[in-house]
Order: sequence, then structure tokens, then C-alpha cells
Amino acid sequence: MKILLTGLNHKTAPVELRERLAIAPEKLADETQALLLHPGIREGLILSTCNRVELLICHEDHDPGLAAYLNRHFAVDAQVLQPHLYEYRDAEAVRHLFRVASSLDSMVVGEPQILGQVKESYTAARSVGAVGPGLERLLQSTFAAAKKVRTETQIGASSVSIASVAVDLARKIFGSLEGKRVLLVGAGKMSELAARHLMQQGAGSLLIANRTQERAVRLAQKFDGHVVRFDDLYARADEADILITSTGSAEFLIRTPHAQQFLQRRRNRPMFLIDIAVPRDVDPEINRLEGIFLYDIDDLQSVAASNLADRGGEARRAEAILEQEVIRYQRRMETLDVVPALVDLQAAAEEIRQAEMRRNHGRLRSLSPAQLEVIESITRSLMSKFLHQPLQTLKAAAREGDAAAVEAIRAAFQRNGRDDAGSVAAEQAKTETDTAADGASPQRGSSESFVVKR
Amino acid sequence: MFLLWLRVAVVLYGLASVATMAAVFGHHPRWQRVCMPIAILAWFFHGISCTEMLAMAHRWVPAGMHEVQSMLALLIATVFLLIAWRYRTLSFGIFALPLAFLLTVVPSLGLDRYAFKSPLIRSGWLFVHITGLLVAYAALIFSLTASLLYLIQERRLKNKRSPGFMAWLPPLETMDQIAETTLVVGFCGMTIGLFAGSLLAQERYGSVYFADPKIWLSFLMWGLYVVMLFVRRSKGLRGLRAVYVSSLVFLAMLSVWAANVFSSVHRFGAP
Repeated sequence: MKILLTGLNHKTAPVELRERLAIAPEKLADETQALLLHPGIREGLILSTCNRVELLICHEDHDPGLAAYLNRHFAVDAQVLQPHLYEYRDAEAVRHLFRVASSLDSMVVGEPQILGQVKESYTAARSVGAVGPGLERLLQSTFAAAKKVRTETQIGASSVSIASVAVDLARKIFGSLEGKRVLLVGAGKMSELAARHLMQQGAGSLLIANRTQERAVRLAQKFDGHVVRFDDLYARADEADILITSTGSAEFLIRTPHAQQFLQRRRNRPMFLIDIAVPRDVDPEINRLEGIFLYDIDDLQSVAASNLADRGGEARRAEAILEQEVIRYQRRMETLDVVPALVDLQAAAEEIRQAEMRRNHGRLRSLSPAQLEVIESITRSLMSKFLHQPLQTLKAAAREGDAAAVEAIRAAFQRNGRDDAGSVAAEQAKTETDTAADGASPQRGSSESFVVKR
Repeated sequence: MFLLWLRVAVVLYGLASVATMAAVFGHHPRWQRVCMPIAILAWFFHGISCTEMLAMAHRWVPAGMHEVQSMLALLIATVFLLIAWRYRTLSFGIFALPLAFLLTVVPSLGLDRYAFKSPLIRSGWLFVHITGLLVAYAALIFSLTASLLYLIQERRLKNKRSPGFMAWLPPLETMDQIAETTLVVGFCGMTIGLFAGSLLAQERYGSVYFADPKIWLSFLMWGLYVVMLFVRRSKGLRGLRAVYVSSLVFLAMLSVWAANVFSSVHRFGAP
């Protein structure tokens, strides 16, 4: 069984093309089922996000031609699609999937959503029976690798968007945002976005002060907040722990004396001011006051950029971890490849042992059950010791990808089901004859039984 | 046997200190997983050592400098574990655990050469007096540490340009809560300790005992404590000013501790 991954992403294809191939989450299961109907595909999974559409399949020896499938299924001209597609096979496909799930291939490296999206695709594929043992092993290894990257690096520890930087800073000041009150001064798009983010992170309540009362009311309804008359701004601003300003005012709205009043009324409890207006609404001098923390749009951007730079270093560490994980996965797969041979070898040896015991049953009849048990134990131990080295060599050869050694060991011990059955039957017939004649040499019988292994 | 347990605790405190520093500064999850169990084990063996030491001596009062140091270290470790459990922060471990380690190193080397020989040693009042004051000392150390860390975090947040630098510091509000809670606990410990000590001294030695400068200094420290609590609560004192006031009380506390050596009536550590 081979692994093939085909798709396109934000690096290879423009949004116009990506959106033509994008699959809505509720249609993912049906689309995966449709993919399975394509000839040669044994297992399959579709990953569709705003930045990528990828098909991951396990297939037989011949190439199932996924590009043709995409052309036909999404009705996209092959000439348009082909230049934007990438294709990874086997180890390369594993590496790519590990990188995607660990967010190393994302537009914003380290973003946490992608792992959840891969898991959703896996759930959808499982629900329609598209995940067999091949993909199951690959995806479980993928999730483990992604988790390892998250825990052993700081790749997702710092925020890289303005809104999440604001939330992080608020957490550094207040600990939890639970019960904290946010005041929006100006009902612009940016402040709405920041407020939404803060509310999603658990901020307690929202106050809105806007020169145009109607817009404030509309926004208050949207967030279940309360409107503050713009004229009451200075009288009520101290009620807020976090104040976000984004008015179009040409002059500073909040100056040092205002901030001093706020602090006095708050008995010096800290206050976080986020000024995203240009020109600015808050006099930067107030940041000198103890208990006031003022960040304007440039400050937030600078923190975000610095965090992004930190992620670059962490991404390099993550790549090294993934390289190890890919090697580990391959070794595991190679070991699994020889598992049937190992099992077969052990079963064959056990059959021979039991046949020998049966053949010598007559001669062992005089022994007590305890003595018979000792003989059983000795023969089992002999068999294990005899097989130990070949089995270990087989495993090691598989791990190291030494195909010649694997083949040599397989050839040395090779046997198939029909031959086994035949040989066992022959052995049994021979045993009966020997027992009846009661004169066959046990030594000869024993050595022959080990020869019947071809 | 208690010395053996104490030595085990010292080694574990040392290991816990290293693990906590690696966990806090290196953000390494493996260290984060091991540092608390090691610290708890150290505290456990330390507790066994102290209990065995006092049980063997048939008393509940530490009667020498080594014993007092060891008890103070145990209280510091206890406060750290409580803070770590309540506020989910390891950051205080980078101060508390090395301090516990340093305080227990000398006591673990051998027995006290000089010990307090008074018959008072089995008095319940003396136990309350010493334990109350040791709790106050331990709490005040944490209050001062929290105030200092608050100041550093405040400066860091105002600086804006170094988001990664000292990112391990807990949030401002957490440190403020720790500083205030430990201050209140310390105040209760100090009030109870001084009250028990005063009753004991009054009954045993009479009013002459209160003429000693060391005793005066103790009451001055208590007065400063009251003022600091009042100002902090009424004005919401934070940041630099909170550090000044905490440092002042801390200095007074150190003076009171040091005054044991010079006091004529309150002198237990020397022959």
C-alpha cells in the first residue's frame, strides 16, 4: 500500500482557484465517500481549509491519477489546475502531513486551528469508512507529532495578531479576563473586532460610547452591552478595566488629568488602554502614570512582529523534531511490514514442535504429567532460542530498510499456508506410521521435521 | 535520624530549585512536570525531620538557631506550595526554593551548639509566640517578593518593546493578590505572636521586660505593619510605593531578628 498526497495551498494557488476547490465542512464526509469510489483508492481523506485543499490517499501499486479526479470532480480545466498542484509520495507525503498538522506549513506559522481541521477531516473520513489501518496509523502518528511540536517548542505560545496581542496583554495585567469590563470609545470596525476577541476570551461586560448614539445602540445589541452617553465618558470611564478607543477625533480625548481621575476613583487598580485610532485618541504621556498601561496601534504591531520573529526560531526547532518523527514513523511501518513474516515463522515453528510431541507421544506415555510439562517447557524454550536471532535480525533489517537481508531471511524460512498444511499432514501420517511400526528413530524424525520449511 | 531526613530534604530543595528555574525560564514541560513533585517531596521530608526533632526533644518549640532556621524554611516552603496550588504559578519557586535550600544547609550539617535552656521551652504560649512570628516572617518575605515582581512586571509592560523578556512573570493582579494576602496572614501571625510573647513576659518577668530595645523594636515593627496595611487598603497602594513600604517593614523585621544578639532579656541563640 502506498501513500499519495495531492493538493494546493496558499503558497501555490491564488484564492480564486482555492475557493473553487474548497469543500464546506458539512460536505466533507460525502466528498470523501466520492473520493473512495475512484479506482485504485483504498483509503482516503480530504483536508479543506481556507488556505489549502489536499487529498490524502492510500492506493494500490498503480497511480490512481488524483489530478484527473480533481479536474473532473471540481470541473476545473486541467491546464488551469496542474501548475498549482503539488504531489507528495510515501515519506514525502508523511513529512508534508506532519508539517501541515504542526502548523509549519500555515500562512501564520504556529496558528493552532489547523490541527483541529485535520482532526475534523479524519472524523469525517472515519464516519464514511474511508480510514483503514494505513491512514489510521499515519494520522495517529501525525497527531502525536503535532502534539510533540506544541509541547516541546514555543511555536504557538505568543500571539501574532493585533487582537490576540491585546488579549495577551490584558491577561498579563489582570490574569483572567473573567468579570472584566471593556469600554469601547468609538464604534469602528477595528474596535469592534478587538472587543469581540476580548468578549470571546471571557471579558465580563461591554460598555459603548459613541458620538452617534444609533451606532452605539446597534453595537450594544450585537454584544449584549450597554450604551454610555458620549458626554458621560469621563464620568464613567473608570468603570472599565479595559478601554479601547478608535474615534476620528483630531485631538487627544484622554489626557493625563483624566487618567489621574480614573485612577483615583479606581483606588489605583490598573487600567489597560488600547488606542487604535489614527490620529491617536490618548495622550501617550499618560503611560507614565503608575497603574495605566497604554498601547497604541504601533505598539501592538511591534509586539506582534516580535512574536512572529520568535516563532521563526521555534519553527526551526519544530522542523528538527518532525524529521525525527518521520524517521520513527517509517521505521515503525517497515517493522510492521515484516510482522506477518515474524508471526508466520513463530507459528510454523510451534506447529513443528507440537507435531514432534505428538509423534513421540507413545514413547512419552510412561512419563508423569509433571515430567511431560518439563519436556513441553524445554522444547518451547529451545524453539524460542533457536528463533530469537533470526527474528531480531529480521526486525533490524526491516528497521534499517535492508531489503536484501529481509528477503534472505524470508527465503531461508519461507513457507506458505498450503505447503504448511501439506507438510503437517505428511508429518501426521508419518507419525502414525512410525507409531504403528514402533521402530523409527526419533532423531531422524526430529531432524526431518525441521527440514520441511520450504 | 531527623538529620538524615533534613539532609534528604536539602538535596531535594536543591534539585527542586534547579528544576523550577529550568521550568520557569526554559518553559520546558518536562521540568514543569517534575519540579512540583520534587518540591513536595522536599517539604514532606523536611516536615518529618522537624516533627521528629521536636518529638525527640519532647517539646514543640525550636530551641536554637539551627532549629529556628529549619522551621522558617519549612514555613517558606509551605507558603510557596500554597501559592503554587492556589494561583497556579511556579514563579515564586525561583526565590522560595533556593531560600529554603540555603536556610536548611547549615542546620543539616549538625546539631546546635547552643540551645535555649529555659524551662519555658515547654510552654504553649512560647510555641504560639515563636510560630506566630515565624509565620509573619515567612509571609512578609513573600509579600516583599510579590511587590518586587509586581514592579518588574509593571515596568516590563510599560516598556512595550520586549515581550519575550521575563515573560515568566505572573500577571499583575495575581501578584497584587499574593502580596496583599500574605501581608494579612503575616499581620495575623505577628499580632498573635507578639500578644502571646507579651503575656508570657508580663507573667514571668513583669513590666521590666518591656524596657528592652529589642522589645520596643518589635512593637515598632508591628506599628509599621498596621500603617502599611491601612495605607495599602485605603489607597490601593501598588507598584513602587508598595515596594518602599514593604521594604521598610522587612528591614524592621530584619532588625528585630538581629536584635536578638544585642538584647539583654531576649537572647536565645548565644551562650
